[in-house]
Amino acid sequence: MTDTAKKPVRAVGSFYALSLDTLLAIPRRPFAWRELVVQTWFVARVSLAPTLMLVVPFTVLTVFIVNILLTEIGAADYSGSGAALAIVTQTGPVVTVLVVAGAAATAMCADLGARTIREELDALRVMGINPIQALVVPRVIAATIVALLLNGCVTIFGLAGGFLFSVTFQHVTPGAYAGGLTLLIGLAEVATATVKSALFGMSAALIACYKGIAVGGGPQGVGNAVNETVVFSFMALFLINVVATGVGVEVAK
Amino acid sequence: MMATLKGRRAMAAAPSTQFYRIKQAGDKLVDGFNQLGRQANFYASTLRSLGDAFVRYKGETIRLLAQMGLGSGALALIGGATVVIGFLTFAGGTVIAIQGYSTLSGIGVEALSGFVSAFVNVRIVAPLVAAIGLAATIGAGATAQLGAMRINEEIDALEVMGIRSVAYLTSTRLVAGVIVVVPLFCVAVIMAVVGTRLSVTMTYGQSTGAYDHYFKTFLNPLDLIWSFLQVLFMAIVIMLIHTYYGFTATGGPVGVGEAVGRATRTSLIMASFVTVAVSLAVYGQNGNFHLSG
Repeated sequence: MTDTAKKPVRAVGSFYALSLDTLLAIPRRPFAWRELVVQTWFVARVSLAPTLMLVVPFTVLTVFIVNILLTEIGAADYSGSGAALAIVTQTGPVVTVLVVAGAAATAMCADLGARTIREELDALRVMGINPIQALVVPRVIAATIVALLLNGCVTIFGLAGGFLFSVTFQHVTPGAYAGGLTLLIGLAEVATATVKSALFGMSAALIACYKGIAVGGGPQGVGNAVNETVVFSFMALFLINVVATGVGVEVAK
Repeated sequence: MMATLKGRRAMAAAPSTQFYRIKQAGDKLVDGFNQLGRQANFYASTLRSLGDAFVRYKGETIRLLAQMGLGSGALALIGGATVVIGFLTFAGGTVIAIQGYSTLSGIGVEALSGFVSAFVNVRIVAPLVAAIGLAATIGAGATAQLGAMRINEEIDALEVMGIRSVAYLTSTRLVAGVIVVVPLFCVAVIMAVVGTRLSVTMTYGQSTGAYDHYFKTFLNPLDLIWSFLQVLFMAIVIMLIHTYYGFTATGGPVGVGEAVGRATRTSLIMASFVTVAVSLAVYGQNGNFHLSG
């Protein structure tokens, strides 16, 4: 009984330890440049298509709901402002999260998990190579960079999709949409969203690496680790979203 | 001459000399198309065996139901799908409160926060976040289990023993997933609404009377039923996709992990498409919504 009670606490503790180790290993030489490039390309490759697929329905849904509301109070001209508010502050970062956690973090966890049960990480340690420095650091940095860049992609595609949907289906004036974009959203909001998505990418990669390194027990173990990666990274991301939104709103005032 | 050509075509790995890249691209296209057919076939046989899940494998269905609601392994320690989905929707509701209250107070109508909760939480946050939670917990869990069974050749063993593997493994999971989504959706809606109310009334200090008045005025019970049906649809789609990727996992432990990732990605995309399709179909162009009554 005490063992089951201790287990989650232990897990949180060792996750914290891994995060600190990773942070400390970032400035240490030799830096794994080649792995960083490979991982960045990999994360971008697996994330780009799902992002574009996911951003379309999310945008259509939010813009649809926002426009219904604005049309009802006779303010359809502010459709662009509503869309920009919804997409830049929430949809952009959240879609980025879902893709980075669902596509990239799962693949990272599966890869590291398979290496762990094949004892490749132990082999690295025997050869005097620190697996955190060689494998975890480049992955975390790669996910952070790609999440940052994806957020920009998502926002642009979201705003363009919102424009097409509002103008063609809900008969909003194109000029009014474009003109209203910057009414509620300024530099502060964009900066908050950028920081948010970078944080999302970093925490998803840290969770994936932790779960991948701590894996045990064959195929079922790897499957469970990936499952837990998805669950825990979504939970962490929603938590970060609450805090970052609160801070962002206060900063933007 | 013909014989050698045919021989070359049969060996997929050997590069042909003429138009190699075009042929490769064509093969990829055909393969993707066949993949779609195989998926459709699998879904049809899963749906066809639904009766068996109720009649023959009742025990297995009930066992899965318990496992999905409260989780297995490390997820059981934190309370399984119920707690995860409750947490996610609570956080979603809180974000709606923060963003909505600050935007509304910018134009001086923060009293309408209750209205935003009744409108946005019910129509977007609860169904979408519940679907995300479903895919992450129950769906990904099913892929991991089935994938591990496939890699360990347990599914082949079932077939050898004369048990219909599709009915026993995937139809039961589909039934259990759809049943378990009913209480989970209730948890999702309540947590989203409570999350918004707590932040608006306790953090921002709006009076509960004003909040509740606008919340109750604009809460449309019909919207709740539609969003419930949306989640039900999404649960079917998510369970089908996740069981397919688990059932067809290949390539050892890493294959199981990759299958989980691919399934999560696909089901998130499909679930959001379902939400959009149902929303547009249900609410129509004017949104079935009247602010002035």
